[in-house]
Amino acid sequence: MAHRFARKAIDFQERHLRGQAFGVAIRRMVDSSSMNPPEPELSYPREMRSNADDVALIRRMCDSDETALGALYDRWSRSLYSLVVHLLNDSDEAEDVVEETFWQAWRKASSYEPSKGAVSTWLLTIGRRKALDRIRAKRRQREDPIGRDRILADMASPGQDPSQHAEGSELRVHVAAALRELPVEQREVLELGYFNGLSQTEIADVTGQPLGTVKTRMRLGMQKLREPLSMHRGRTE
Amino acid sequence: MTELSHEEAYSELAAVALDAGQVEIADAVRAHASVCPECGPELASMEATMALLGQLVPHSEMSPGRSAGVRSRLIVRAGSERKARAASGRKPDLLHGVASLAGQGHRVSPTSSQAAAPEARMQQPVRPIRQPGNERGPASRTNWLAIAATLLLAAASAQLFRVTADRNAMRDQLAARGGDATRADSLAASLAESNALVAAMTGSDVKVVSLASESARQPQAQMFWNRASDDWTMIASGLPSLKPGRTYQVWLVTDSAKISAGTFEPDARGRTVLRAKYALDRNALRAVAITDEPAGGVPAPTGAMVIVGAATP
Ligand SMILES: [Zn+2]
Repeated sequence: MAHRFARKAIDFQERHLRGQAFGVAIRRMVDSSSMNPPEPELSYPREMRSNADDVALIRRMCDSDETALGALYDRWSRSLYSLVVHLLNDSDEAEDVVEETFWQAWRKASSYEPSKGAVSTWLLTIGRRKALDRIRAKRRQREDPIGRDRILADMASPGQDPSQHAEGSELRVHVAAALRELPVEQREVLELGYFNGLSQTEIADVTGQPLGTVKTRMRLGMQKLREPLSMHRGRTE
Repeated sequence: MTELSHEEAYSELAAVALDAGQVEIADAVRAHASVCPECGPELASMEATMALLGQLVPHSEMSPGRSAGVRSRLIVRAGSERKARAASGRKPDLLHGVASLAGQGHRVSPTSSQAAAPEARMQQPVRPIRQPGNERGPASRTNWLAIAATLLLAAASAQLFRVTADRNAMRDQLAARGGDATRADSLAASLAESNALVAAMTGSDVKVVSLASESARQPQAQMFWNRASDDWTMIASGLPSLKPGRTYQVWLVTDSAKISAGTFEPDARGRTVLRAKYALDRNALRAVAITDEPAGGVPAPTGAMVIVGAATP
């Protein structure tokens, strides 16, 4: 425990010394992903098929088949947990969020619209929103006013070999590569928003940029990222 | 809700896609996007693109035991909801006998203890649930032992959570302690414990009883009864913290007896994992209940019933 705090403290200090260092950890991850060469031909059909399976599970959930919920859990609980534990930095809370997310998926299965994106996107979006609600509630209690040092501490921990999680690795490489192509200031705004749950106003505070600039960078960054990743967004049928 | 023009809504799409804008405006933007042929698809594609960033986080996993617990809770809850829906408003019939757990309490008479005896086959060396040193009358002791004799409490609540929980914290503790032998032993022990837990909770012969209160979502619990191995594993959450001098006690309710499955105190977050070994006739279980009792436990329920679940045949 002690050295975890020490590591955090060091990272925190580093960030202040070097000023604009928020993206460093992400960049480290993005760069490590390049170790694994992409296999573009293979990835798209596999994802399409996998989303069709997910959509079939959602349909069964609409018919009150709880075994489909179990199957969906087996397919996506790991990705979801990885995301929310990373955002929350607390395994107990992350577990709660995973449970709440799948429960919401069960209750709201009929509101899923395949035309708006893949089932996994839908699940991760619900889970991230629930995690952000908790993060923001804590911030309101002033426990963790911005919480931006956390992401550095976590991501600076020894990275995993991306090839280890087979089902996500190709996609991961593509996403990392696309993010790497963005201008640094656009990437930073997206990272602070997505991984740290900062609002545009908070990002403006943290980066010392006017709110209008933050808004523009966020929109441009998203639009640029969208093109290379369009085939991954899981539109079905 | 304010109605936004196309331009106003369009300029906020990125903020909404990332949940990074003002909450009050987000609803108005979504309302506009749901009818605007340009903003709708734009927002959807932005959200889908942002969701892909989730691929970049380091891979983490719940421990198998905890993940199995979440999965089971979800399925049990979904299943009960489906049944409730199918029964179209008919209230679940909480069993006769369970009702008497609440209120004035119900003492197990010598007769009912005897009646319970045939189904309570001795499986394991006896470990009395009550802590030594607690004062109690000889009469109640006899009753208590008659009922509790075949129970073996395997693990005390919160510790199991701690063992199977945060791998990072564990890794840090191990690293701080140093020593590869310690590390390997602890990891092996933790893994073995997780595996044992999963084995006890899964399999074709596992019966699940879901415990809840009538009014609130929390507290709740699931009892997994592995009828092949006589393992009982209960996972509970949302339990209020106890007053000093009190304990929670778990009861297996049959037609003829209320059998204590042990006492526990939940962790700081109101959760517990309780494990017991007990051979019960495979059709005898009627309900599982948790009551609030004096510290050390009692031979028969006396306190308020916190949550209860009926066992379907
Ligand atoms: Zn519009």
